[in-house]
Amino acid sequence: MTVAELQTQAPAVTASALYDALLNNTAPFILDVRNPDDFARWRIEGRAGLTVQNIPYYDFIEDEEGAIARVPADREVLVVCAKEGSSQYVAELLRARGIEARYLEGGILSWGHLYDTRDIVSASWGRIVQVARPARGDVSFIVISDGAAAVIDPLRHTAPYLEAIAAHGARLTHIFDTHVHADHISGGPALNRETGAPYYVHPYDAIHPIDMLPATIAYTPLNDGQTYRVGQVDLRMIWYPGHTLGQVNILAIAPDGSRYLFTGDGIFLRSFGRPDLGGRGEEWTPLLYESMTRRLPPHLTDATLILPSHFSTLDEADEAGRVAAPWGVVRRTNTSLAHLESAEAFRSFVLGNLPEFPPQYVEIKRVNIGLRTLSEAEAEELELGKNVCALAK
Amino acid sequence: MELTYHQTLDVKGAKCPMPLVKSRKAITELPVGQVLRVIATDRGSVADFQGWVKAAKNVELLAQEVVQENGQELYVHYLRRTA
Repeated sequence: MTVAELQTQAPAVTASALYDALLNNTAPFILDVRNPDDFARWRIEGRAGLTVQNIPYYDFIEDEEGAIARVPADREVLVVCAKEGSSQYVAELLRARGIEARYLEGGILSWGHLYDTRDIVSASWGRIVQVARPARGDVSFIVISDGAAAVIDPLRHTAPYLEAIAAHGARLTHIFDTHVHADHISGGPALNRETGAPYYVHPYDAIHPIDMLPATIAYTPLNDGQTYRVGQVDLRMIWYPGHTLGQVNILAIAPDGSRYLFTGDGIFLRSFGRPDLGGRGEEWTPLLYESMTRRLPPHLTDATLILPSHFSTLDEADEAGRVAAPWGVVRRTNTSLAHLESAEAFRSFVLGNLPEFPPQYVEIKRVNIGLRTLSEAEAEELELGKNVCALAK
Repeated sequence: MELTYHQTLDVKGAKCPMPLVKSRKAITELPVGQVLRVIATDRGSVADFQGWVKAAKNVELLAQEVVQENGQELYVHYLRRTA
């Protein structure tokens, strides 16, 4: 065994190149060399068919022959560790045996930090930009028209939004959260502080549902039926209680008549938002049923593009990375919607399929309404891994 | 914590995987039964050493501690060669 300091020859793959490969289903075999506990907490996920194997790097130090024998010799391998050092080390060992190994630059940390920005819609009236954080399955949006920009469900780091808005020569005029999130720290209050643009939230979500304490952040209350104008686009607020008491769906209506529904944690492409993250699943399930069967349907047309704030699996994104589909497709392909035929059927389906409740979600809601302040390292730790906002399939 | 050790390995500043690579080498050179104290600054070494000793045939992790030194955290591991 050599103990020379690392002089790596193995080629690096960036997180953004990895994301493209995952979307195109051309990703290599992923060898994650972190310890099994870290691997169990979160890992790189892709489309169905992606192979990810965990062999800790110390297995290669302890029993080099044995560990290498567990790696497929005839495939391209992408080695991943926490920061990148161990993946370089293992990639070198594999390359010495003729295995085509590369490593993930910056480790899984850089994957966790990747923001992916791409156009969903580009039209004469403006554009809709999707800003996703693929490792978390979080999606957010920017509506840009005539030099004005509205962000919807912005994620924690504000730079991707400010850069995209500046790149299109626009100015941030509205910041919306469809609801106060439990799974991630919102970038809304920070964008409000940085730009002065108003931060809109429904007042029912400005009270912590478990602590019953009011928000201390600056926000502007939005109401059911209210419409905001962003350039040539109207943004209509549709109250949709259930996932939270104050959740809204935001319907964008463009001058050409096209309609885009930002569902937040309402309807996802393959599931819908769970009603128990406020700690009152039993009580909120009937509210969710009302929202899904009565409040929302009058606003839906088959051509309305559904733009949710989460995906549970990358298979919900198309090859161009868009997590979006017309309602006419979603209502046929989202099998979880089949349980809406009666309130009772819905109730038993929902309450029988609730995933685990991540304990940190209570704390994240505190952070989002200003009841708690975190350091960058604490925020990082609290947000680790993929969201579990959807009902299990 | 007062633990008897026979040798100290200073891997302050070394990043993963070097603390573990160097510890493996030092343990191999240590007589059976003796204890190696490893001083690291890499926080990931705490969980990784715990995992490593499960995979390793002749290493026992006696203790781990976090010590403050000049404003930085040191992660100290006590490892015994068992065979």
